[in-house]
Amino acid sequence: MSVVARLDEARAARRQKALIAFNATTLRLGGKTIIENLDLEVRPGEFLCIVGASGCGKTTALRLAAGLYGPTSGAVTFDGEPITGPRREVAIVFQDYGKALLPWRTAAGNISLALEASRVPARERSSRIEALLRKVGLPGHADKYPTEMSGGMQQRLQIARCLAQEPTTLLMDEPFGALDAMTRQGLQDEVLSLTQTSQTTVIFVTHDLDEAIYLGDRIVGLLPHPGRIGIELAVDLPRPRDQLATREHPEFLRLRRQLFDFIKATEH
Amino acid sequence: MNRAAILWRVASILVAAGFIAAWQLIANLRLVSPVFLPGPDRAWAALVRGFSSGDLASKLIGTLEHMAYGWLAASIAGIALGALIGSSRMMRAYVAPSLEFLRPLPVSAIIPVAIAMLGLTQGMALFVIAFGAIWPIMLATIHGFAAVEPRLYEVARSLQMSRAAVIGRIALPSALPDILAGMRLSLTVALILSVVCEILAGLDGLGQWVLLSARAFRSADLFAGVILLGATGYLTSIAVSLVEQRLLAWQTAAR
Ligand SMILES: Nc1ncnc2c1ncn2[C@@H]1O[C@H](COP(=O)(O)OP(=O)(O)OP(=O)(O)O)[C@@H](O)[C@H]1O
Ligand SMILES: [Mg+2]
Repeated sequence: MSVVARLDEARAARRQKALIAFNATTLRLGGKTIIENLDLEVRPGEFLCIVGASGCGKTTALRLAAGLYGPTSGAVTFDGEPITGPRREVAIVFQDYGKALLPWRTAAGNISLALEASRVPARERSSRIEALLRKVGLPGHADKYPTEMSGGMQQRLQIARCLAQEPTTLLMDEPFGALDAMTRQGLQDEVLSLTQTSQTTVIFVTHDLDEAIYLGDRIVGLLPHPGRIGIELAVDLPRPRDQLATREHPEFLRLRRQLFDFIKATEH
Repeated sequence: MNRAAILWRVASILVAAGFIAAWQLIANLRLVSPVFLPGPDRAWAALVRGFSSGDLASKLIGTLEHMAYGWLAASIAGIALGALIGSSRMMRAYVAPSLEFLRPLPVSAIIPVAIAMLGLTQGMALFVIAFGAIWPIMLATIHGFAAVEPRLYEVARSLQMSRAAVIGRIALPSALPDILAGMRLSLTVALILSVVCEILAGLDGLGQWVLLSARAFRSADLFAGVILLGATGYLTSIAVSLVEQRLLAWQTAAR
């Protein structure tokens, strides 16, 4: 058997085990190649972080996984099936929480939107909403409108609405990008505890290298124009992670250095 | 209500009282012949007389009916058409130029057409009123639907909401502030056109009352009718504003 054939076989085996797989995925938009020949597998239960310079195609890759874009060539699969559109077990947390929430609905109403879409009977909704609000640390805020809430609270609310979908996979696009450092760290730990216990698969896009190392099992760095993989790092840090101990771990600092050099080399 | 609001309210009442006093003074001094200008006292007396004899009330109801039917027809058609056009970029591109041509057309220009086709009938009045009142509603609805945050459509897609659910739960509530503002504007249009149609077609209503009073030089009755028309416009507009405030409570909660 040739080397190429054996490599293909190994790749096929990996893909079989993958929950989400990009398979030689290329996406062209408006005559421009945004993503080129992307090969990437995400295992069930894995926390994958994507980093890269601004405009390198992180959001686009996430939208492909979400089924909001279809690839120009190649395939993106979920559980072995080509992704043809959004599906309920895959939830997306958008960065601009202010635009992703319905301003005319209260916190409870916003969560209810997802339950209504899943045809949860009306009498079950309020108890589910209450549980979800408690889960994301917003108990007692059911009757607040999004505009009456802080940025961190609004993002928590969006996460609660995504959890209402009961997703097996969470796609998060710089979810904490607009928040201050303290709020950010709190939400990082919350996302970890929400996803680790339920074995949720996560693809997490971020600008923040520390955040990527702190959260991820694996980190993929994208190169720009067109978007492709430039670096792939396994994060060998013990779980549960801890805001102080993890960030002082020698492995954390080593990865940080490596990622930093990579990003620096891509930006000139 | 805070102090400033109370002061403004008092000031506005004083202005209204001053206006009525000046009117009474002009009438008493006979600066204008009483044949044309009755004082507020005579206008009020005519108003009371009109209601107690029963005739004015039925005219008022006639006008309210014309206005309500025309306005409701305009609202239903305006929201439906506006949603259809506003929710599709292609429709907007195709239809918008025609709308721009039709919109500035004075409604009075289509009245002769409507009379020629439908005669001096209630149907003609309904058509004219609805035609005039539909524009503010339809244009506001188109704008409201076109301005829906695109991110919300993506949220709807990722929740796999049905088309009906997207319209009912996302697009309509998002466009509601625009739609209600359009409906409030078109209320005035509907009132004006009700009066015009009543005058032209001799339909039962305040328009006819005003016309007949003027012809018979019953200036007090004429003014009673005009006052009633003003009050109708004012009160219906307040009613819609109250509904608006209720439905859009989330907007004030924010501030
Ligand atoms: N709909 C589109 N049509 C044409 N070009 C697009 C479209 N969407 C994105 N692009 C381009 O594709 C590239 C990647 O965009 P993308 O939003 O995925 O980057 P990103 O890595 O998420 O950047 P950032 O970190 O700033 O969010 C950019 O150069 C952008 O201009
Ligand atoms: Mg992005």
